Amino acid sequence: MKAIRSCLTRRVALRGGALSLAAPAILSRAAWAQDAPIRIGFPTPLTGPYGAEAKDQVRCAEIAVAQFNASGGLKGRKAELLVRDDKLSPGEAATRTLELIEKDHVDCIVGSLSSSVQLAVNEITKARGMLYVSISQSDTITEASDFARTTFHEALNPHMTAGAVARHVFKPGMRVAILLADYAYGQEMAAGFRRAATAIGGIDIVLELKHPVGASDYSTFLPQIRASKADVVCICNFGRDQANSIKQAVDFGIKRQAKIVVPVLLYNQRLASSPDVFEGVVGGSNYYWEIENQFPSARSFNDAYRAAYSGALPSDYGAYGYSGVRLILDAMRRAGGVSADAVIHELDGAHYDTCKGPEIMRACDHQAIQSVLILQSKAKSNMKNDADLFDIVAIDAGAEANLRSCADLGHKS
Amino acid sequence: MPIVAAVLALLPWVAPSQALSVNILLYGLFATGFNLLFGYTGLLSFGHAAFFGAGAYGAGIALAHYGVGWFGAIFIGVGVAGMLALLIGAVSIRSRGIYFSMVTLALAQLVYYAAFQATDWTGGENGLRGLTVSVLSLGPISLNFLDPTTKYYVLFAFVMFALWLLSRMLNAPFGAAMEAVRENESRARACGFDVRLIKLIAFVVSGLVCGLAGSLNALHLSIVPIDTLYYQTSGLAVMMALLGGAGTFLGPFIGAAIFLLIEDIFSLWTPHWQLFVGIIFMLAVLFMPRGVWGTLAGWYRERRA
Repeated sequence: MKAIRSCLTRRVALRGGALSLAAPAILSRAAWAQDAPIRIGFPTPLTGPYGAEAKDQVRCAEIAVAQFNASGGLKGRKAELLVRDDKLSPGEAATRTLELIEKDHVDCIVGSLSSSVQLAVNEITKARGMLYVSISQSDTITEASDFARTTFHEALNPHMTAGAVARHVFKPGMRVAILLADYAYGQEMAAGFRRAATAIGGIDIVLELKHPVGASDYSTFLPQIRASKADVVCICNFGRDQANSIKQAVDFGIKRQAKIVVPVLLYNQRLASSPDVFEGVVGGSNYYWEIENQFPSARSFNDAYRAAYSGALPSDYGAYGYSGVRLILDAMRRAGGVSADAVIHELDGAHYDTCKGPEIMRACDHQAIQSVLILQSKAKSNMKNDADLFDIVAIDAGAEANLRSCADLGHKS
Repeated sequence: MPIVAAVLALLPWVAPSQALSVNILLYGLFATGFNLLFGYTGLLSFGHAAFFGAGAYGAGIALAHYGVGWFGAIFIGVGVAGMLALLIGAVSIRSRGIYFSMVTLALAQLVYYAAFQATDWTGGENGLRGLTVSVLSLGPISLNFLDPTTKYYVLFAFVMFALWLLSRMLNAPFGAAMEAVRENESRARACGFDVRLIKLIAFVVSGLVCGLAGSLNALHLSIVPIDTLYYQTSGLAVMMALLGGAGTFLGPFIGAAIFLLIEDIFSLWTPHWQLFVGIIFMLAVLFMPRGVWGTLAGWYRERRA
C-alpha cells in the first residue's frame, strides 16, 4: 500500500512539473485515506539532555494510542505513532516535521520538548494547516504573533506554574531572590514570578541573577543570593540545571535561611538527585502519580502504565505525551474524522479530562486551562517507597483568571 | 559541473525525503563555501557559522520585519554575510595557523551572543519566526513554495548558479593563486602575489557562498534557530568538508550527503544512532584520510598514471 502510494504521488508530481502540485497530492491522498491508519507524528528529543523525559513521553503516548485502538479506533480506523528524534534542535525538528508531513503524510503532530523547538514545529504546521498539539512549556506559542488555529497548547506555561507557586509561597513583606537560566524559558518563568509578586503586593524582589544555560558551577551566584537575605529563592531553570543549582545552593547553606522554590519540580531530576538535596523544595507540576487519589482518570492512566511497564509509574513530562495524544485522538473520534476543521471545531472550548482532572481548551488562544499541582519534596525518612517523592501540598485549580487574558496576548476578542 | 548538476537534480527522487535532500543541497553549498577557504586557500576557519547565520538572519529579518520580497531577502542575506566576512576576514587574516582558527571562532561566538541578546531583532533563543514564504512570485508566474518538489528546484537553481560561479573562479588564474598561497605562502609572496589580498578575497567569497546557503536555509525551514550561529554549525562544515575531501570541488557535497544520510537513516532505526555514526566517522578518518571523494579521486588518478 505504502509503495503504491508514494509511486503514485511521485508520478503525479512529475507530470505536474514545477507548476501547481498541491491539488493532485491532496486528491491522491483522499483516495487512500479511508482505511489507512491515523498517523501521529511525534518529534521528541530522544538524544540530548532531556532524553529521559522524551523516552517517557514516547512510552506514555504509546499507551494513549494502544487504548484508542483497543476501544475500536475511529470507526475501525486504528492510530499509529511515528516517533522521530528532534535532537532538541529547532532546525532538526523543522526538518523532521517537514518529513512527517510531506513523506509520511501524518494527520497531526504531537510533541517536542523545548520552547524554541515547539515554536519551530509550530511555524511549519501553521503554514500547512496541520494539526499540532504542543506538550512542552512556552508562553510565546499562544501569543497572537505565533498563534495558529491548528495549534493547541496542552502543556502548562511558565506564567501558570510560576503564578501558582508564587500564590502559594509569597506573602506580603517577603524578600525574594530569583536565579534564572538565561534563555526564553528561564526569562518567562522569572517574568511569571514578577507578575505574581506585583499582583500579591508588598513583595520586594531584591535580586535577579542570570546564569548561562547548562551551567555546572553556580558558586559565583550563590554568595550574592546568601548576602541578599532573601526569604524565598526562586530557581528558574530546567533539566540537569535544576538538580545542579539546587544541590550547590544547599551546599552553600541557602536552605537554612530561605525557602527554595521552583516553577516546575521535575520528577526525573528529583530521582536523579537525592532526597536530602531536594528536601523541602516547593514547586509546581502538571502531573504526579499520587493525584490518582483525587482523579479517577489519573488512576486509570497509572494502571495502564503499571500494566504496560512492569509496575513503573509515569513521570510528569511523560504524562504530557499521554494527555497530548489522548486529546487529539478523542477529538478526532468526536469529530468522526481527521479533517483539521472538524477537529478544531471539537477542541475549541472543549471540556475534557485525559489523566489529570478537568481541563478546558480556551478557544481564543488554544491554551489548556488546567490545575497546577503544588508539590513539596519529601524527606528520606517520610518516603514510603522509591516512587514516593513528593507531598501534594495544594492543587491550584484551573481558572481562566490564572492565565494571561487573551487581550494581553494580543488576540482580538 | 554537469555531473554535479545531474546528480543533484535527481536527488529528491532518490533521497529518503525531500526535506533531507534540501538539507544536503544547502549544507553541501555551505561546506563548499567553507572549503574554498580551507581546502583551496589553506585557512582553517572555525567561525563559518557566523556567515551561514548572518545570511539566514539577514534574509529572515528582511522577510519578517521589513516585508521585503523573497528575492530581495536572499540578496540582503548574502550582502550581510559578505559585509560580516569582510570585517571578520580583515581582522583574522592577520594571524596564521591555529591562531587564525581561534580568532575566527572567537569572533563568530561574539556574533552568536550578540544575536542571542538582540531578542527584538532575532527572536533570541526562541528563534526568528514569521518568515514563511508560501507563494513565490516571479513576474507573471507564481509558484507554490510549500510544495516540497517546487521548493527543491527553486533552491537547486540558486545553488547551481553559485556553484557555476565558483567553478569559474577556481579555474581562473585567481584559483591558481589561492592554491599557491596554500602550498607556500612565502613563495607566493616572492612571485609577486599580494597574499593578504588573495586571502581576504577568498575569505569574503567564502562568506558570500555560506551566506547564500544560510539565506536559502531560512527560506527552506521558515525559521532561523539561534543554533544556526553556534560553533557546532561551524564544526559541521569542517566535518563535512573533511569527510568528503577537502580541497576537491565535489568533496564537501559528498561529505554533506554522507553525513546527513547516515544521521537520518540511523536515527530512524535506533535511538543509539550516535554510536554507529561515530564508528563510521572513525573508520572514515582512519582509512580515508583524504576524505571519501579525495581518496576515490586519488585512487582513480593513480590507476591511470
